[in-house]
Parts: sequence; C-alpha cells; structure tokens
Amino acid sequence: MEPIASHENWRNCFSEVAPGLLLFARQWVQSAADAEDIVQDAFVKFWRRNHDIANRGLLYSAVRSLALDFIRRDARRARREATVLAESEPVIEPHFELEDDTQSALAAAVESLPRDQREVLVLKIWNNLTFSEIASALAISQNTAASRYRYALTNLKKTLQPQ
Amino acid sequence: MNDLSELEKELRKLRPAPPSPVLFERVGEALKNCRPSVSDAKWKRWRFTETPYNWWSLGFGLAAAAVLILFAAVTMERRHEQQQIVAQNSSAPETRPVPLGTKRSISPGRFVPAGGTNLVYNTRDEGLHFADGSERPVRRVRYNTQQTWRWRNPKTGASLRVSYPSEEVVLIPVSGQ
Repeated sequence: MEPIASHENWRNCFSEVAPGLLLFARQWVQSAADAEDIVQDAFVKFWRRNHDIANRGLLYSAVRSLALDFIRRDARRARREATVLAESEPVIEPHFELEDDTQSALAAAVESLPRDQREVLVLKIWNNLTFSEIASALAISQNTAASRYRYALTNLKKTLQPQ
Repeated sequence: MNDLSELEKELRKLRPAPPSPVLFERVGEALKNCRPSVSDAKWKRWRFTETPYNWWSLGFGLAAAAVLILFAAVTMERRHEQQQIVAQNSSAPETRPVPLGTKRSISPGRFVPAGGTNLVYNTRDEGLHFADGSERPVRRVRYNTQQTWRWRNPKTGASLRVSYPSEEVVLIPVSGQ
C-alpha cells in the first residue's frame, strides 16, 4: 500500500485504506453499517485536516476512539439488541472474503484472539502499519505492540495446529 | 504452517470484506460539503502536533480574561464608592439613575463610566430604635437593592457591566410633635 498522503484524490486514498479501516472498526462493533459510519466520520475528519503521512496512525486512532464512543453511547441500545438477538437467528456479517475452508478456519481463529492481540494483528497484517504507527494509534509502547503481535501469531498457530 | 512467517503469509491472503459502494458516495458528499474552494493540493497542511483546538490554552486564556475583568470591575467600583447615593426612602420599588462623577477619563483605550442604576426591589421598615447614646428614637429602614454599573470604551465601543446585590440600612430621625 502506498503512503496515503501521497494521494491528492481522496477516492484513491479511501479505496486503499477503507477495507482495512472497516476491519479495524469491526473489532469493536459487530454491525458492518455501524463500522462504515465510524470509518466515514474518521476519514472525513482526517482528510479535512489534511494530516501529514507521518500521522497515519492518527486515522486509526480516530477510528478506535469513535468506535469506543459508539459502544458507550449505544450501550443501552446494544443491550436491547442483545435481547432481541438472543431470541432470533444471529446474522453474522463476515469480516473477510473467504475462498475455502482453510481461510474460514483462519478467520475463525483470528476472531477467537483476545481483542488487544487482534487489533494489533489487524493493524499490522491488513493495514500495513509499522509497530511505531500501531503504538501511536493504540497509545501503547512499540515493545507492547510487537509482543502483542507475537502472542497473536503464537496463539493462532496453536489454534490451527491439528489435534 | 511451520513457522510464524508462513502464518503471516497465509493471513495476508485473507482479504477484508470491502466497503459498500454507498460508503464512497457518503464520504464524497461529506467532503464536498466541507471542502475549501482551493484544490486539494493547496489545502493548508495541519500537522498533528498543531492541533487546532488546544483546550489547555483556551482554559488558561479564559481564566486570565476573567481575572482581568474582575480586577477592572473592582477598580471601577472603588472609584465610584464615594459617589453612591443612598436609596430613596420609598416603600415602592423604583429604578433611577445614579449620578456619576463628572471627571471622566478621556484617554483612548480606557473605559469611562457610562451610567448606573440602583434598583430598590425590597424595603422593610424595622420600627423605631434608639441609637447608641442617643435619646431620640430613629426609624430603621432596610433596603435590598441591585446596583448596576456600566463602563464604555469610546475608542473601541466595548462595554463593561457589573451588577451586584446590596443591602442598606438607613436610620431616619423621628421628630416629636
């Protein structure tokens, strides 16, 4: 992925970062529509202020912050929805485009990771952020980001090993 | 998957679900509504370290402004302390102008007195009393008032208004028939 700030056209830029951003937002919100709202807000703010490429982590930080705000704001609604969902068939919106069973198993293993490891993995693998940028986006140290990433891969490997 | 790098490769093959086409339209609409007239390339560059809203600075600025206003108000109040007139002995509430000093600062950039009111909103007759060491009775009347003072800067047109409640007790000698 090219540096986002090299694009002057927002559409090119957004088409590159949007899938990864949506995946990142969906670490907190289950609904794809809610995740799209969050990504839209974050990207529009980021683009309006025309932040520098060195601050790419800011875009992810904004997504995370908006997602957490969304969770707090809609906690009551979420409880209501949880009650309704418990009585109905759950509708699972896939986070990935899956091609075969191997990928399905891999995606399920990613979903089963603890959130702190999963968000680092999502930023590293599907958003191509450096550990420095991940540290900035998540307000953690680079060492913490790197160790969470390593734990995530180790856990995935354990999960995927044949019994 | 023998090692972690192999696992990383497998993970990268997973493609995140794409956004809906509507999202592009929504983002485009939002950017259109807020975009400056100049081209994207000429947008003013804001660095993250130059966040436009520095709330600490704003807070300190407001606090400093409040202190300055209070200081000015206290200074003006002392200047007019000797010129205030006791409210009239009237049972009906009234509003009347309070005379101000005749000397006004004409220095540009300074506030000059622009007027004042003394609103008597409550009067209570507390009856006859004998003042200390006096053989003649006096009637004690208590006034609750709201005093308002205004200053104006003739150069800039800025105005300053200070309003505060006050309580005054007036002793009125009672003359015998």
